[in-house]
Amino acid sequence: MSTGGVIAIAAALYAFVGAFVGIGIGFATGKAAEATARQPEAADKIRNVTLLGCALAEAAAIYGFVIALVLLLIYKV
Amino acid sequence: MDLGQLGLREKLIEELYAKELFNINLFGWKIPVADTVVVMWIIMAFLIITAFLLTRQMKPVPRGKQNLVEVIVGFFNSFSRDVVGHHWRVFAPYVGTVALFLAFANTISLFNFIPGGDYLYKVTGLNFFQHIPDNFLKPPTRNINIPASLAVLTMGVCIFEGIAIKKPKNWLRSFFEPSPIVFPFKVFDYFIRPASLTLRLFGNILGAFIVMELLYLTLPALLPAPLSIYFDIFDGFLQAYIFVFLSLFYMAEAVE
Repeated sequence: MSTGGVIAIAAALYAFVGAFVGIGIGFATGKAAEATARQPEAADKIRNVTLLGCALAEAAAIYGFVIALVLLLIYKV
Repeated sequence: MDLGQLGLREKLIEELYAKELFNINLFGWKIPVADTVVVMWIIMAFLIITAFLLTRQMKPVPRGKQNLVEVIVGFFNSFSRDVVGHHWRVFAPYVGTVALFLAFANTISLFNFIPGGDYLYKVTGLNFFQHIPDNFLKPPTRNINIPASLAVLTMGVCIFEGIAIKKPKNWLRSFFEPSPIVFPFKVFDYFIRPASLTLRLFGNILGAFIVMELLYLTLPALLPAPLSIYFDIFDGFLQAYIFVFLSLFYMAEAVE
C-alpha cells in the first residue's frame, strides 16, 4: 500500500473518533433531560453542568478532526 | 462528482492561511495586514462605536436604548456571579468583551451581502477599497491565531487575578494544595487549558466553515439556507458561550 493510502486511512480513523464522542454526548444529554424532568427547578445548574461536560467531551472529536485535516493537508494524498 | 476537480484541496489550504491584503509602513518596518485582521478591526470598530453610541447620556431611570445595554451588562454580571461567586466583579468586563467579540466574529459570514472591493472603489474612488476582495467577511476565528491569542489572554487573566486575589504566597502554595504530588499536573494545566480552549473554538468554527463551503460548491440552491441557521448562527453563539463559560470556570478555579 502506498504512503498516501496509509495516511488517508489514518485520517479516516481520526475522523471516526467523532462517532464515539457522539455516543458520549448523547448519553450525557439524555441523562440531563432525565434530571431536568425530575427536578425542573434545578434546570439552570443542570444546563451548566451538561454544557461543561459536553464541551470537554467534544474536545476529543475536535482533536480528531484537526489532526485528520492536518494529515490530509500536509501530506499530499 | 469529483471534488478534486473543483480545486477543493487548494481552496481549503487557501482558507487555512490568512491572505495578506496590504502592508503598513511604520518607521521602515513593513507590517503585513491579513484579511482576518481586517475583519477583526471591522468587528472591533462596530462594537466600540455601538457601545459609545448606546451609553451616551445615561440616566438613573433607564429608557429606550439604555434598557438594551442594561440587559446585556446584567446578563454578563449575573453569568459571572453564578460561576465565579464572591470575586465575580473583576471578571465580568473581560468575559463580556470576549463574549461579544466572539459572538460577532463567529457569525460575521451572515453579513456577506456587502458588495466587494471593486464595486466600492468604483462608487467612492478611494484607493483603499481596491485591496478588498469579494466576500471577505468570513469568521476570523477560523484562523488558529485569534483563538490562541484569546486563550492566552484568558490564562493571563487567571494567573494575574490569582496572584492579586490570593496574594503571591498563597498562590504558590495552591500548586501543592492537596498534596505535593499534584504539582506537575497543576503546572501542565497552564499549557493544556489554553491549547484545549484554542483547538475547541478553532476546530468548531473551521469545521462548520468547511461544511458550508462544501455545500456552496456542490448544492448552491435552497439547502444551504436552513443548514446555515445551525452552522453559522447556532454553532457560532454556542461556541462563544462555551468559550467564555470555560474561561470563567478556569478563573473561578484560579481564585477560589
